[in-house]
Amino acid sequence: MDLALRDIVHHKGKFVATIIGVGLLFAVVLSMNGIYRGFIFEGLSTIQVTSPDLWVVERYRGGPFNEQSTIPDFFHYSIEAIEGVAKASPFIFYGVERMVQGKRKRFTIIGYDVFGGLGGPQKLTAGRHIRQAHYEMVAHEKLKFRLGDTIPLGLHSYTVVGLFNDGTAPDGEPLVYLSLPDAQEILYLRDTEEIRNQRERLLKTLTEPGRMLPEQAQKYISLLETNTHMVNAHLVKLSPGANLDEVARRIEQSLYFSVYSNQQQIDLMTQGRLAMPRKQLLMFRIILLVVSVVIISLVIYTFTMEKIRSIAVMKLIGAPNRVIIRLVLEQALLMTAGSYLVGLIVIHNTYQFFPRLVRLTAFDDVVTFCIALIGALIASALGIVQALKTEPALALGGN
Amino acid sequence: MAILEIENLQKTFGVGELAVNALQDIHFSLSVGELTALLGPSGSGKTTLLLCISLIHEPTSGTIVFDGETIYKNGWTGTDLRRLRREKIGFVFQTPNLIPFLTVRENVLFPQELLGVTGKKAEDRAKELLDYMEVSHRSNYLPALLSGGEQQRVAVARALANRPKLILADEPTAALDTERGMKVMALLKKIAHEYNTAVITVTHDVRMIEGFDHVYQLKDGKQDYTTTH
Repeated sequence: MDLALRDIVHHKGKFVATIIGVGLLFAVVLSMNGIYRGFIFEGLSTIQVTSPDLWVVERYRGGPFNEQSTIPDFFHYSIEAIEGVAKASPFIFYGVERMVQGKRKRFTIIGYDVFGGLGGPQKLTAGRHIRQAHYEMVAHEKLKFRLGDTIPLGLHSYTVVGLFNDGTAPDGEPLVYLSLPDAQEILYLRDTEEIRNQRERLLKTLTEPGRMLPEQAQKYISLLETNTHMVNAHLVKLSPGANLDEVARRIEQSLYFSVYSNQQQIDLMTQGRLAMPRKQLLMFRIILLVVSVVIISLVIYTFTMEKIRSIAVMKLIGAPNRVIIRLVLEQALLMTAGSYLVGLIVIHNTYQFFPRLVRLTAFDDVVTFCIALIGALIASALGIVQALKTEPALALGGN
Repeated sequence: MAILEIENLQKTFGVGELAVNALQDIHFSLSVGELTALLGPSGSGKTTLLLCISLIHEPTSGTIVFDGETIYKNGWTGTDLRRLRREKIGFVFQTPNLIPFLTVRENVLFPQELLGVTGKKAEDRAKELLDYMEVSHRSNYLPALLSGGEQQRVAVARALANRPKLILADEPTAALDTERGMKVMALLKKIAHEYNTAVITVTHDVRMIEGFDHVYQLKDGKQDYTTTH
């Protein structure tokens, strides 16, 4: 006779309510696991998707993701000339917020050499890669653009030619790929009125009494205007058999840049920009897990204590300890497993509605279940000790 | 044939100046088919004596011989005591104390299962007892759906499930009105005679003990008087 199941059936309303309540708590714990994993995944996503052998950035900068880095775009020629480098490509990366299709949207633009350069989108889910030097874009599905949509950005409009779904910016924003010149133009070029105003301001400054004549000043104006030929990094692909450290050292020494391998770039992010929020989320995750374990332990303990008189009767009529242990333990395990299952079902059916990535992993699911199970076992051990200590005399109404 | 023999039983709680002699110099014996009543005011030691006979409290001194075995001698453990309780003693309490999450039938099956009796044999025994107690129409009900008298009859059926040699009843009529109380007592008498079981009943109410074979009055832990019919 399965006493634990009989008790559950008898108190099914209470049992179901408890399982749903604790299950929802487990859903929060599991979602927190997913949010934590998602945060790290998104933080490193662009690095993982881009994945060159080396990142060349401004000297002493931990860029382009962990810190700002700005270098001229033409340096990829010099980098390519270094022994061991098979290919070098300019790479630009920045976040924007624009009114698009009547909605305000935030996204991150990546500009790359669309003609065989590194740093472009990897797997497309629809459409094709960019084939023209200008006015084409490949966008993340999260932006809900459709193939053929024309998106106005800055001075021009760009046609969506491809869609993809892997890769987001470190802050979770969807990516948009453009050709390098388009991306540079959107970032650096102002509209005509702004350019005219800036020129007039410069001219006025240069022609102040004692400086230049207007004819001389006109020659310098173009030189003093914003330089659009800047990028955040150069991506490097090594020649077969080339030594990564050696090539990095050569670039650093000869061109005076900082060079990081892809793994170093990941480490920079993990230990830099992502470190504090990661710790914050981890702390919250731990607290939430502890709270859940304490709550399920209390529930199990209370369930056992509510049966203490029945347990006393069982002991009085000669029930061996194993019958009582089985009753408490089986109920604890059923309650934990049931609650966990509810939590698992809830989160696996709702995680896609979260605004940012919730990355659920089998490892986290199993570890959380094991921790919950350990809590349940500890609680049931306390309940069992209490049950075994119960005086059978309690059934007689006292000593 | 004596099923229970108690000699010079003493039970003391606490030590030194705080020691309380709950039972002193108790002697009695009981044979199968006999009914014994333990009478006495509150605090006279009735329940303590019952707990000693139930093998729940170990006496401070004296001997209990139950069905030919001397209890607590030769390194008896809690497991031995529990085995003896489930094999040879049936309990009826002040309140029915049925297990609330088991049906009436399951409450009667449970003590049998503890002895390893299951299946048709156990079901037949449960049906026989529930018929005997006139509650078989409530077999699949939970105890909470039964009246107090019905619950107490199921408790008696449970006590009889393992064909015990001794039934211990702790004020079984306390929670019932006089008429129902009388019925339960009549039932215990019938059981003692028909099932050849010894019955010890603790009670306050002298009206309930008519026809009992022995009556032991306790006062301050001592046997005040004994009546044997």
